Amino acid sequence: MKKLFAVVKREYVQRVRTKFFVIATILGPVLMGAFTVVPALMFGMKSGGPTRVVIIDQTGKLYSRVARELQTGRERPSKRETPRPPLQPAVGPGASREQIKQAGRMTEASFVIEEAHLGDRSLEEVKKDLESRIQRHDIDGYVILPPDLLKDGRPEFRARNAADVFTRENVENAIGKAVRSQRLVDAGIKEEAVQQASEPVDLKSVGETGQESKGEAGFFLALGMGIWIYMSVLLYGQVVLGAVIEEKETRIAEILFSSMRSFPLMMGKLIGVSLVALTQMGIWGAAFLAFSAWAAGGSSINLPHVAPIVFVYLGMFFLMGYFIYSTVYAVVGSMVTTTQEGGQLAMPVVLMLVAGFFLSFNIIRNPNSTLAFWASMFPFFAPITMLVRIVTETPPLWQILLSLVIGFATAIGLIWLASRIYRVGMLMTGKKATIPEVMRWIRQS
Amino acid sequence: MDESKPTLVLNHISKTFGDFTAVSDLSLQVKPGRVFGLIGPNGAGKTTTIRMIVNIMVPDTGSIELLGQRMTNALQDRIGYLPEERGLYKKMKVGEQLRFFAELKDVTGKEADARIDKWLAKLQLSDWKEKRTKELSKGMQQKVQFITSVIHDPDLLILDEPFSGLDPVNVDIMKDTILELRNTNKTIILSTHQMEIAEKLCDDVCMINRSHKVLDGKLREIRRSFSRNAVALQFEGEDGLLNDPELVASMRRVGEDLEVLLVPGGNPQTLLKRLVESGVVISKFELVEPTLHDIFIEKVREVA
Repeated sequence: MKKLFAVVKREYVQRVRTKFFVIATILGPVLMGAFTVVPALMFGMKSGGPTRVVIIDQTGKLYSRVARELQTGRERPSKRETPRPPLQPAVGPGASREQIKQAGRMTEASFVIEEAHLGDRSLEEVKKDLESRIQRHDIDGYVILPPDLLKDGRPEFRARNAADVFTRENVENAIGKAVRSQRLVDAGIKEEAVQQASEPVDLKSVGETGQESKGEAGFFLALGMGIWIYMSVLLYGQVVLGAVIEEKETRIAEILFSSMRSFPLMMGKLIGVSLVALTQMGIWGAAFLAFSAWAAGGSSINLPHVAPIVFVYLGMFFLMGYFIYSTVYAVVGSMVTTTQEGGQLAMPVVLMLVAGFFLSFNIIRNPNSTLAFWASMFPFFAPITMLVRIVTETPPLWQILLSLVIGFATAIGLIWLASRIYRVGMLMTGKKATIPEVMRWIRQS
Repeated sequence: MDESKPTLVLNHISKTFGDFTAVSDLSLQVKPGRVFGLIGPNGAGKTTTIRMIVNIMVPDTGSIELLGQRMTNALQDRIGYLPEERGLYKKMKVGEQLRFFAELKDVTGKEADARIDKWLAKLQLSDWKEKRTKELSKGMQQKVQFITSVIHDPDLLILDEPFSGLDPVNVDIMKDTILELRNTNKTIILSTHQMEIAEKLCDDVCMINRSHKVLDGKLREIRRSFSRNAVALQFEGEDGLLNDPELVASMRRVGEDLEVLLVPGGNPQTLLKRLVESGVVISKFELVEPTLHDIFIEKVREVA
């Protein structure tokens, strides 16, 4: 037991003290935020001022409506709706799609509209003229509303940047609304009635407790946790792989085995690295809590509400996944001679983790299906799938506990089996072990 | 005969890996207060034998007893092991490293610190305690590795090629340390393929070749039993008497020397006396003891 502790202590102290750990711990959240927020912002951001659009209205009726829609944005101020807070950048993977979309809208909502009259010129001539203005960067695009638009005509939108989906969507929406209103007015309905009739509905979705819950936020929270488990299990698995290969390459293994049995040695190593992971998560968790406390007081950022027990489960399922997959990595490390070889050999196992991750897409939609149940009992999938179930539609406690018991029992069994391979593998040098060899080691040792 | 009980006993141990026999029916006894040489060429089975002694591997057949008990994991703490392939954590500081290996051998706390300081001083490494291991020269790393094998004051110390990579000064330090340990009644197994080193340090030797033991016993006795009754000579004058077939079996030139092999039972004293009487000027007269190398070659030829 003392020896196991010595191994745990060494693994922990040596790793936590490294610059890499400090940097990763600080940069981790920054990078994670950067990876989700920055693309969203970049995507939405439209540098270089408002979008200048010329409208050729051949119907003669729609220009003012379309221009108004474009300039005011698609959301007309409504009595029911509280003014939305100024848009905050989406935070983390929990940020809803809606937020990202808004971020997009926010930054490029401004349009400068200009009407072009055909006069006695042909449409082609005007188009040519506008085309050259686009080339000169005089305008960003033009819209042609054909004469039969109110019946079944299709408007045309020519933009310099055809990939700018936000602008395209805005233009499409604006024309759509304008056409619908105009059709109603043409049918004899009063302008005010039309306005009232087109008020959007704001669907309020409620959770178990009856509180308003944000469906999209829940979806992204579940997915985010899945991704997070996936990434950290892989990351720390690699750490274990590296550690094992170091010991094999430097031949420290021989001294270690001459001092202790391989089971406590492997256990100590896994526990040591897991404590490093937990330390890092603890720091991140504390930072997250501090951040949300700060956010709650005055800032407009609203983070999805997560029950504290979910964090406990998160930690437990992370550990379960970590111990299962890291054990595999340790065995792989003992069988190979270089990290690259290790990566290749670990591939099939990593694919299991990937499978678990993809299963979670289905499980998010049907958290209580038979598939979801079995997927969350299978120890190689459970770290991701069960967690996703917990976040979406918490299964009965016995299922969670059963999943944990199966998972940890599997981990212990694997470590036991692995330690036998490990012992032989670590002393073999110079070549990669084959599977039949490994089977023999298990029987022999 | 030596009365003391053997520290280590190997009873007919064998180990095979697939089709390959690494060690075959090896038996030996290692006594305290002596340096036991385990010698043989590379690939003879020395390392496998050692790995079985330190309980990294278990023999397929046969048994190993240490201090009168069958080998167990608990007994591992009574052994100190310097493997041929050195292994240290490159990024750890020397002090921490030693502390870790001491803890692995169940030496902890102040006791461990005291021993670390003592050994670092003894091997002239005190200034390097706070340095990272990778900053040390190869020879220094080797000495650190040596400390890891003695830090827990083991009864049995197994040194696999302890001198490789050391400069002459450090070789002497290492030799002195080994002999000092021997004099405190520790048991030392020295594994090497360098016969000259074994010759200088070992009290007992066991030679293995191709997984088999070919020779085992006290070094002095072995050498005596292999004595070929030869004399190395340098002299000036008439050498006619060397042609006496009753005394000399054969002669050959070895560098400056004339090596004279006497007939079986021939007495070197008789040769010396007759040389003096014949009036030649003798500048060298030396009994040729066979080297371990010679003995080994002879033994291997015999088996083959």
